Amino acid sequence: MIAALHGILARVLGDFGATLALGVALILGYLTFNVLFLIWLERKVSAHAQRRLGPMEVGPHGALQTVADMLKLLSKQLVTPVATDHFTFLMAPILIFVPTVCLASLVPLGPAQAFADMPNGLAVVVVLSGVTVIAIFMAGWSSNNKYAVLGGMRSVAQVVAYEIPVLLSALSVVLIAQTLDLRELVNGLPVWHGVPLPYVVFEPVAALIFFIGITAETNRAPFDIPEAESELVGGFHTEYSGMRFALFFFAEYTNMLVLGAVGATLFLGGWEGPFVGALPWLGPVYLLLKAYLVVFLMMWARWTFPRLRFDQLMNFAWKLLIPVALVNLVATAVVLGLVA
Amino acid sequence: MITLRGVLEGLRSLVDGMGVTGRHMVRPVVTLQYPHERPDAAHWGGPIELVTFPETGTHDCIACNACARICPSDCFDIEGRRPEGAKKMRATKFLLDFSTCSLCGLCIDVCPTDTLRYSSRYDDAAYRRDLTVNDLLAPFPEDPSFAGKLP
Repeated sequence: MIAALHGILARVLGDFGATLALGVALILGYLTFNVLFLIWLERKVSAHAQRRLGPMEVGPHGALQTVADMLKLLSKQLVTPVATDHFTFLMAPILIFVPTVCLASLVPLGPAQAFADMPNGLAVVVVLSGVTVIAIFMAGWSSNNKYAVLGGMRSVAQVVAYEIPVLLSALSVVLIAQTLDLRELVNGLPVWHGVPLPYVVFEPVAALIFFIGITAETNRAPFDIPEAESELVGGFHTEYSGMRFALFFFAEYTNMLVLGAVGATLFLGGWEGPFVGALPWLGPVYLLLKAYLVVFLMMWARWTFPRLRFDQLMNFAWKLLIPVALVNLVATAVVLGLVA
Repeated sequence: MITLRGVLEGLRSLVDGMGVTGRHMVRPVVTLQYPHERPDAAHWGGPIELVTFPETGTHDCIACNACARICPSDCFDIEGRRPEGAKKMRATKFLLDFSTCSLCGLCIDVCPTDTLRYSSRYDDAAYRRDLTVNDLLAPFPEDPSFAGKLP
């Protein structure tokens, strides 16, 4: 069916254009579904952690609640405050949205499937996830609102600090796998008695640091001080309304899934799982299951832990996570050198 | 000062915390889906009502005004008449202004014929103040004691 659609589109757009259009449509379609699902899941997790039911009225078990919310956001007026820096203000939601979609296309879904294959995929992932911080600061600064500026500044400091341990812990896996290619990373899983072992077995500390790091990078509790509601109203997106606000929301939840998928690829063996060799369509299923497991853990943590203070947050990153990640990286290198 | 011991203890406390919320996640929820599910109100004390006695099939209010006298918030408006040939009065008007009632229950205790009790109603919300006045005789059909005897 996709091939037939591709053929029809190719007559108008050419071969490359048709592939691009179909890929973007597929990714955006799935990501939209994913965001609606994740927001629903978040509300359900929060509810059940507090022994409530969460949304129950719209659709079975409230499954269509987020669809209703999205329709409401779509119909809302877009308010632009007078004193904003208009161009930057309008660009910020777009700039936060585009890299997340690009990121989503980079994760290999199976032995043969990925939207964009990059020989140095992991490096591109790290670079692209760093772009979002610029967009967040643009949003905070251009809003001309003290809460937004504070939120944006906090976010920059936090993301810059937590990107380092994420990178270092990812590097220790790269050291074992000897490749930056996300597909080769999974193809080269160490095999033990015929069972491919995920890298978390060799790098539990790195996996933990990576998990903490991506929680902080997605600005989620307990690291959600950039948008700490009790202190900063809405943080960097205080002045955004309607669909512009929805784009920030979309980016946050997409980022959760994508970073979860990157984490699953790095540490949990990506698409690898039982019977993948015989049934290739299981690959994406396994990958998504593992990614959603990481996302669920992030939600679980959010509804368990209180928010950190800013100095605690920075101390934690610079005085603990980065040294531990560095030691872990060096130890990995030494062990690999001794084994080889 | 960050020590290895401190880090490990901190990690354990985090796992403990996750355990607490995790356990709550699998326990039954306490939410009542209100309009769809109703609470068991049988033992709740709502606005007072008149008891229907099975022997007579009606209430036994003799309009003695004991409840009106003891009421600390003056909620009652009661009138009665004596049916022809009867010894006791019968209530012809029994209004309770629920907006001032504090549900203290003194009227129930003082009632000589035990014809007052708490109802189990809990959803008597109203938009106008005059709608909070309950006519306690409204659920009863025309009083048989007065059949054909009232002017």
